[in-house]
Amino acid sequence: MVNNKGKSSGDPITRWLVIGMVALVVVVGAGISIFNNSSKKTAVLPSAASVKDGYGIVFNGDLTPVIDVWEDFQCPSCKVFESTNGAALKALAVEKKAKIVFHPLSFLGPESVYAANGAACAADQGKFLEYNAFMYANQPAENSGAWSNEGVIATAAAAGVTGAEFETCVNKGKYADWVGNVGSEGSKQNVNSTPTVFINGKEIDRASGAYYSAPEFMKLLVAAGIK
Amino acid sequence: MNLAMLFTSPRLNWLGLFARLTLGGVLFIAGALKVTTPYKAAAAMRAYELLPINIANLFGYALPWFELGLGALLILGVATRLSAFFAGSLMIVFILAISSAWARGLSIDCGCFGGGGQVAPGETNYLQEILRDFGLALLAVYLYWRPHTKWALEPGSR
Repeated sequence: MVNNKGKSSGDPITRWLVIGMVALVVVVGAGISIFNNSSKKTAVLPSAASVKDGYGIVFNGDLTPVIDVWEDFQCPSCKVFESTNGAALKALAVEKKAKIVFHPLSFLGPESVYAANGAACAADQGKFLEYNAFMYANQPAENSGAWSNEGVIATAAAAGVTGAEFETCVNKGKYADWVGNVGSEGSKQNVNSTPTVFINGKEIDRASGAYYSAPEFMKLLVAAGIK
Repeated sequence: MNLAMLFTSPRLNWLGLFARLTLGGVLFIAGALKVTTPYKAAAAMRAYELLPINIANLFGYALPWFELGLGALLILGVATRLSAFFAGSLMIVFILAISSAWARGLSIDCGCFGGGGQVAPGETNYLQEILRDFGLALLAVYLYWRPHTKWALEPGSR
């Protein structure tokens, strides 16, 4: 009967079973999302990472100005940023003219996690900058399968990052929890898109064009006191 | 046909089915699209600048699951009236949040189906987003008023 005029509201067992199951999935799912996106104190950190710098990989920790770079290895705009300003950042790091903190985010999917874990492994080999530049220059299509652990190792090898220790580190996902902590820190610091760059704690205004123009970017660096 | 007959008309059950599947389907899809990208969902929530960052993050992680659950109940036709109450309340909250972003001159995407965050000033769709949520809110009101629908797992849904 379509018109159920009686007091009965269908089968109460079905009702509560379904409500209970749905509620369980919602609560467990939300719990997992919250847990996965919160910092894990047990995470193993790469030697160059600093907790007080948002778990980022730090170059020239005692210098000023401070440049914080938040990027995802799979983000196409980050590739453009790197090809525009990556060399300038690398020079500042190598010539010890600024403190630079790299925060590899991983919100574009599992291959971002593999790439970010690889970045930490490369940092342990003293090859973060080489790895960083080469990965962006050879960025594949998003989650196309190119950046499995084997893919990361192969790409890194072409950048000159090799060795059994590096490969083990990549294959074991040694820094996967650290990658999660970097992401959690990004949420806390209100990093809503990539690339996001802070100079001395001040986010570069997207309207300035500095992300994708080397002269504009240089202007901001000069204004921050870099000669 | 008098008014009393209209209320019990089997035809209205079909209208109820339409409302249930539309509202439930949209919620389920919206949840499913966001549930796998919690970082983006939290960023979309923060972009409204309505809640403290840590609270916005928690809501951003949890909301997609809540939408998924409400959508599932509506599609199945279980606890339709209760689900419609929550779905309608959610739509009102969404409309208020989007209106507030609009009024404050923010340039964000609502992030309703993934995405979200800042967009170029000319690329906002506030009016469309509000109208869509208003339409969905009307379906929720209808289902709250008359939760009796065709093909519901729980026919006399409360």
